[in-house]
Amino acid sequence: MSIIIKDLSKIYGEETIFEDFNLVFEKHKITGILGPSGAGKTTLLNLCSGLDQPDRGTIEGINFQSISYIFQEPRLLPWRTVRENLRFVFKEKAIKKPGSHEADIDAMLELVGLATVGDYFPQELSGGMRQRVSIARAFLYPSELLLMDEPFSSLDCSLKNRLIEDFSKIWEQDKRTVIFVSHNEDEIRRLADVILTFSDKPVQILKKERLSNNSKKM
Amino acid sequence: MKISTFLENKQDKPLKKIIGKIGVALFWVLLWALAARWVDSPLVLPSPLKTLEGVIILAGDFEFFVSIGVTLLRVFGGVFISVLLGLVLGLAGGLNKPFYEIMNPFVSTIKSLPVVSVIILINLWIASGLVPLVVTFLICFPVTWTNVVQGVRATDKKLLEMAKIYDVEQTRIIRDIYVPSIKPYAVSALMNAIGLGWKVTVTAEVLANALPSIGMNLYYSKIYLETDLLFSWTLVIVICSLVIEKITLYVIGNSRKGDGQCQLS
Repeated sequence: MSIIIKDLSKIYGEETIFEDFNLVFEKHKITGILGPSGAGKTTLLNLCSGLDQPDRGTIEGINFQSISYIFQEPRLLPWRTVRENLRFVFKEKAIKKPGSHEADIDAMLELVGLATVGDYFPQELSGGMRQRVSIARAFLYPSELLLMDEPFSSLDCSLKNRLIEDFSKIWEQDKRTVIFVSHNEDEIRRLADVILTFSDKPVQILKKERLSNNSKKM
Repeated sequence: MKISTFLENKQDKPLKKIIGKIGVALFWVLLWALAARWVDSPLVLPSPLKTLEGVIILAGDFEFFVSIGVTLLRVFGGVFISVLLGLVLGLAGGLNKPFYEIMNPFVSTIKSLPVVSVIILINLWIASGLVPLVVTFLICFPVTWTNVVQGVRATDKKLLEMAKIYDVEQTRIIRDIYVPSIKPYAVSALMNAIGLGWKVTVTAEVLANALPSIGMNLYYSKIYLETDLLFSWTLVIVICSLVIEKITLYVIGNSRKGDGQCQLS
């Protein structure tokens, strides 16, 4: 089942962000959303994640206990090591079973190239490494939906390229539904299957573009 | 050659610091000695030497150590209970608005009461020996409670959002996000409570006639006009306070080493 947004309205103070907004996100695809800053892209992610509630309308097809989120900044616990940060998103009961998730954590750390820094604290890592931990955490959590809010925006060009490659590599393994928000068209074109271009507030979809695997700019 | 000079300079620094501190202390002691000489009356202002002699004489009596021990127990008892309850109730107050609204008038009232009023009131209700402990708790509790509530409110909302998205259990949110976030606030509250606790305990000992105690020894020195002993007991209080402060800072410093603290990433 797809994610269906029906007649969604959201107003902040005097500003109408969404008004009777309708949209369908396809399952197991990466949908990229482009649009000007402050247009309502992050608001849409917050509504989809349950961090914010719509004033009117419905969002169907989302299990709110099964969402991962890669934020613009890594949002790691500074007083916990990389490994403990990854363990943090597993249920307490699951952690208490000996060795239950450790193999998954090891495999994911290997995949994102952080196998040697599992016992480091976030402040001992570079910005790019921290963001990779955040990506690893999002994929380790058994979610059906992955939300991404400009996850590469604060990184330099070469690091961004590497992380986009890392992300594609991991996503290919479980192809969960992804909603990816950015104002950078290049990032979106390299990852998305479907690109939506949002207008300024109140949001309207100006353009919908479907990309084939060949047309993705890797 | 350059490296060895650099290391020598680095090793010199703590030594210079200690020498500097001793120099400052000697300056004030010298000033005190000059003032005592100028006043020329041990009843009004005893000299540093006379005060030190008094401490040595006092230390020859077992009662001296009993008084210090019992006062210390009262300070630590009062501070410990206030920090413990301050942590638990502060966490509850920071997380739960109605609970905060219930607690806030009580805490604000205690904060605004003069210490002397609290001591006299408590002395009406309970035994003298316990008054300093209860008063210390009552005076220190608002400090720890307020600090912990502030710590909870200053917790990084972005981390809380992340935990909500990943459906992390509330107990782990408290243990892994709130508790580390309030730690600096709790440490500062502990330091304040210890400093405040000393003053309040000794004052309460005097007003409540709590025996055995440092406070009552101070009081007896005053009524028997033994000004040199009054100064000696005051010196004992200052030394105890400094030692406890240093020990607390050392313990806190050691516990912080294992934190991996702490810029938010």
